[in-house]
Amino acid sequence: MSETGNTRIARRSVWANILIYGFLGIVVLLALAPTVWVMLSSFKTGNQIFSGNGFWPSPFTLQGFIDAFTQIHLHEYMLNTLIYAGLGTVGALGTAFLAAYPLARFSFRGRNALVALFSLALALPLVGLATPVFFVVRELGMFDSRLGMVIFYSALQFPFTFVVLRAFLVSTPPELEEAAMIDGAGYFTTLFRIVLPLTRPALATVAVVAFVNIWNEFFFANLLLVSEENRNVQLVLAGFKSQFGFNVTGAVAGATLVMLVPICLFLILQRQVIAGLTAGAVK
Amino acid sequence: MSVLTRHRPPHSASGNERAASAERAPVGGQVERRSLKRSARPVSGTRIPRGMRGPIVVSLLPGLLLFGTFFLVPFFVLTGTAFARWSGLDFAWVGLDNYRQMFQDPVFFKAIVNTLFYAAASVFIQVPLGVGVGMVLALRPRGWKALRTIVFVPFVISGAAYAVIFSMFYNPRAGLLNNALGALGLPGDRDWLFDTATARWAVAGTFVFIIGFVVVLVMAEIASIPNELYEAASVDGATTWQQLTRITLPLLRNVIGTAILIRLLVDIGMFDLVFILTAGGPDDATATLALYAYRAYLSGEWGYANAVGSVIIVIGLVLIITVRRAFRIGERAL
Repeated sequence: MSETGNTRIARRSVWANILIYGFLGIVVLLALAPTVWVMLSSFKTGNQIFSGNGFWPSPFTLQGFIDAFTQIHLHEYMLNTLIYAGLGTVGALGTAFLAAYPLARFSFRGRNALVALFSLALALPLVGLATPVFFVVRELGMFDSRLGMVIFYSALQFPFTFVVLRAFLVSTPPELEEAAMIDGAGYFTTLFRIVLPLTRPALATVAVVAFVNIWNEFFFANLLLVSEENRNVQLVLAGFKSQFGFNVTGAVAGATLVMLVPICLFLILQRQVIAGLTAGAVK
Repeated sequence: MSVLTRHRPPHSASGNERAASAERAPVGGQVERRSLKRSARPVSGTRIPRGMRGPIVVSLLPGLLLFGTFFLVPFFVLTGTAFARWSGLDFAWVGLDNYRQMFQDPVFFKAIVNTLFYAAASVFIQVPLGVGVGMVLALRPRGWKALRTIVFVPFVISGAAYAVIFSMFYNPRAGLLNNALGALGLPGDRDWLFDTATARWAVAGTFVFIIGFVVVLVMAEIASIPNELYEAASVDGATTWQQLTRITLPLLRNVIGTAILIRLLVDIGMFDLVFILTAGGPDDATATLALYAYRAYLSGEWGYANAVGSVIIVIGLVLIITVRRAFRIGERAL
């Protein structure tokens, strides 16, 4: 995001400042108070959570985090989700990059139709396709399989990744590639030796967004996975609700850990996330 | 995407669009619109060099395969089976029966009304709030960067996590909301999520404050407004308030429309939060269209589920076209 906008902060009156910070304070409070409260609750005892007494943990305990791993086995689900998000992101980026380059650089019959088709998928409420997706996935023998889920998530993130990468490639000059091709470099040599390194900033951006999207995905995981050992973390979170009586501290601590993964990624890679989302201007 | 951002040529369009979009690359949204517009006429791109046809086909193939399998085939399955009784095995054409059944089901209408209620909450609360915060942060008050980060955080938290957060927050006995109300001396014993009077508002309350995305879009757009406009206005004696309402706000028309579009697409397909928080209850007071379709799928009425799915997609398209018209998205304001 460019920082060069309007640098015209003239003197503001005290009242204007009170108004500005009052407004921002209320919004931040409304947006974050429930989340912060739940995160703090992960350091509380089960008794304190059930009684609802006190905002701050007292007594302070890490039992919830211990339970999250020893009783709920959160690490196993986190590993699953890491596989889905990691490999799904690689799959989406690979296929989208391979498709984006020719559709950005060369003109041929059907190109515009193809670009429009891929882009149109971003404008569809995909939950409408739930049953047919389930049917197709089952017919392909990919139902309730880790590999199937990786392939499906690659497809799910393909349109967004494609649109952003293609827009980036369209805006970069083709001279380097043309020079390489004149020197006799083949298509894939040019693609991987010249174009790929130049595209790295855009790839980093879409990678973070795709990873977070898959990490947070619930709808299709709920539709396409049944086995306990294949579940992703979001399915586990959804299951907590019915199990609050069973191990509430573990559930709250587990939810906190699951949230912290995308939050930390965002805090570390803030620039990429924001650039990626505004570039797609979708999702 | 082209549906979202296709637009008439900008007034200032010279031949040199590549330079223009490269220069605005960080803002992104602009590049997007321009590149799509360009693709409408086959100007950009060279012809395929000799001997490259084969590699290009190979290059396109994986993407085509993924897209065809998981978007196109399901789409055709949907359009085909929406007019059939189908449970995955047995299949019989029934014409418009699914749609007839739908329009006679009061639960379907509840689901539509609720879905539109959530959409309205986004359009009339979430987006204006995000625009307001974005405009204020763009004035760069002290600490604006940290505030932008803080406001964005809820956007990367998943729907399932939000469901956990708010099932605790709204808990009638131990929840923060009732405890806070009690501490203020107000009646604090309502079961917000399972009282038909408050359930929908309680669900909307979980997402209307997730404004980070709108804030970021708005700030990016404001950053691209030329400074001279404000300088000229200050010289003429315009106050900050006048500058915000007379210069900034009108120039945000496009990005506000885009934010509304994106939010509407999410709302039309709203599922995770409602499914986990209330499963549509009490008495279907919070059920959405996506949840209604999912119930039909669960009970093996796949043809019916797909008919509902087609309604979701059509409502999505209608809303997109309406918002694009209303906000004249794509027509540059400058």
